[in-house]
Amino acid sequence: MLDIKKIRGDFPILNKKILNNKDLIYLDTAASAQKPKVVIDEINSFYSNNYANVSRGVHTLSVESTFKYEDARKKVQKFINADSEREIIFTKSATESINLIANSFASKYINEGDEIILTVMEHHSNIIPWFLIRDKYKCKILFANIDSTGNIDQKHFESLISEKTKLVSITHLSNVFGTIVNQEIINMCNNAGIPILLDGCQSASHIPIDVKTLGCDYFVFSGHKLYAPTGVGVFYGKENLIEELPPYQGGGGMIADVSIDGATFTDLPAKFEAGTPPLVEAYGLGVAIDYVNELGMSEISEHEFRLTNYALDKMQDLDFVDIHGANENKHSIISFNIKNVHSHEVSSFLDVEGIAIRAGHHCCQPLMKHLSLNSTARLSFGMYNTEDEVDIFINALKKCRDFFTK
Amino acid sequence: MNDLIKELYQEIILDHGQSPRNFGECDPHNKSADGHNPLCGDNLKLTFYINNEDVIEDIKFTGEGCAISLASASLMTEKLKGKKIDIAEEIFSDFTNLVSGSSEDLKVLNEEDSLYALKGVGGFPMRVKCATMAWHAFKSALKS
Ligand SMILES: Cc1ncc(COP(=O)(O)O)c(C=O)c1O
Repeated sequence: MLDIKKIRGDFPILNKKILNNKDLIYLDTAASAQKPKVVIDEINSFYSNNYANVSRGVHTLSVESTFKYEDARKKVQKFINADSEREIIFTKSATESINLIANSFASKYINEGDEIILTVMEHHSNIIPWFLIRDKYKCKILFANIDSTGNIDQKHFESLISEKTKLVSITHLSNVFGTIVNQEIINMCNNAGIPILLDGCQSASHIPIDVKTLGCDYFVFSGHKLYAPTGVGVFYGKENLIEELPPYQGGGGMIADVSIDGATFTDLPAKFEAGTPPLVEAYGLGVAIDYVNELGMSEISEHEFRLTNYALDKMQDLDFVDIHGANENKHSIISFNIKNVHSHEVSSFLDVEGIAIRAGHHCCQPLMKHLSLNSTARLSFGMYNTEDEVDIFINALKKCRDFFTK
Repeated sequence: MNDLIKELYQEIILDHGQSPRNFGECDPHNKSADGHNPLCGDNLKLTFYINNEDVIEDIKFTGEGCAISLASASLMTEKLKGKKIDIAEEIFSDFTNLVSGSSEDLKVLNEEDSLYALKGVGGFPMRVKCATMAWHAFKSALKS
C-alpha cells in the first residue's frame, strides 16, 4: 500500500489554495501531472552544478551533462523494458514523437493507395500528423470504430486490415474513456505482420509498461504526464525497424560527417536527435522515473484503479450524471456529463470549489462527433489523489446540479 | 453558495443560456459568419440583415455552447437589433473591454445594460473566449 499522505507531502503544489481559499483538489493529471519536489530540485541542481551542452565538448561540465542525459535514457529503457538504449529517442513531446515516426516511416514505406489504421478515439496528436502524411503521399487513413463501452470494435478493426495496411497507430489508454486497448488488437497486427504504434501518453503514468510483452513496434509518451517536466517526450522503436528509417530532422549532433557535398548520419539513437536535445528535461524525466519506481508502478496503478472504481460507484448512483463508456476496463480517467449542464459550467463551478477537472473535447473531436457530444467533463487521477477528494468532488457535483437546474 | 459563481451566473445569464432569444436564421440576410471556440468545440452561426440605412434590421444565431456563450450571443442579438453599424461597433469594443476586466472607460454601455451581467466573466479568464465568440463572429461578418 502506498503512503498517500507522505506522497502528498512530496508535491509542493498540493498546498496551494484556490480562489477563495479552498484546498486544491487536482483531478486533471491526464492533462498533465504535478511535479514532486525531488524533480523540481534536481532540475534546479542540474542547472546550478552540472550544466553544459551534451556530446559536444570534452570539458568537465559537458561530460557531466552528457552522463546525466545518457543515464536518463537508460532509465527510460528499463522503465518500458526496451532491449537497448539505442531504441530510446528523446523528443520534445509525444506529439513530436508521432510526427517523427509518421515522417520517417512514410518517406521510406508509404506510397499512393497505402492505408494507415487509426481509431476514432485518437487524440488529435495521433490524427493530424497522419493527415499531413496522407496529403503528401496520397495514402488513406482508415478509422476503426469504437463500441458503446469505449473499446475498439474488434470486428470492424479486423475488417480494415488488408495487404494495403502499412501501419496501425492507436491509443494504449484512451484519454477520454480510460479504456485500455485489448491485447488481441495488438496480436492481430503482429499476426498480420503490420507494425503497430501505441500512443502511451496516458498508459505510461498509470500502468506498468513492457513493450516486449505488449508486442508493439513503436511506443510514445510525454514526460509531463509522468510527473516529469514539460518539454521532453520519448519515442521508442524496435532497433531493427528504426535502424532502417531515415532521419526526421536535420541538424547538429546527428551526423557522422558533413562536407559541402552532403552528409552521412550517425548511429542510433543520435540519428533521430537533431539539435541540442531537451537534456535537463530528460534528466528530470529520469528523476521522475526513479521516484515512481521507488513507490512501485504496480502499487501506483492499483491505487489509481481503486480510486477510479470508488468514484465510478459513487457517480453511478447520481441519476443526473452520464458516464461515457462502460465502467469495466476504465483506468484513472472518467468522462461524464451532468444532464442539461454544459461541461464548461461544471468545470467553472468546481474550480470555485477548488477542484480542477478538464472540460471540452479533450483534443478528440472525431470521437466527440462520433458520440454526438459537444464536450464532456473529465476527471483523472494521479498517485496523489484520495478517496476523501472523490467524496468532496461528488458533493460538488450535487451542488452544481442544484445550482444549474433549480 | 459561492459569490464568484453567483456573479458569473446571474439569473439573466442562466435564463438566456437556457432559452436563448433570436435563435434561428435570418431570412433574408446579407451578412453571416461562423464562430468557433477551438478549445472546447463550441460553435455558432450568426446571420443578420443590414438595410440601406446601415441599420441592423434583424439578427439571429444558431449553435451549441455553454450557458455563457449562448447567453452572450442571445443578449448580443437583443442589443444590436435596430442599431446602426457604427454604434454596434462601439458596443463591440465596450463589451470586449467589459469581459476582459477593463470596465472603466466604456463609451456606450452602462451598468443598466443587460450585457453588464457578463462582467463576472472577467473573474474566469478561460471563459472570456466563451463570452466573446458571438461578438467576434459579428465583427468578422461585418468585414465579409
Ligand atoms: C492519448 C494522448 N495522446 C497524445 C497526447 C499529446 O501529448 P503532448 O501534448 O504532451 O504531446 C495526449 C495529451 O493530452 C494524450 O492524452
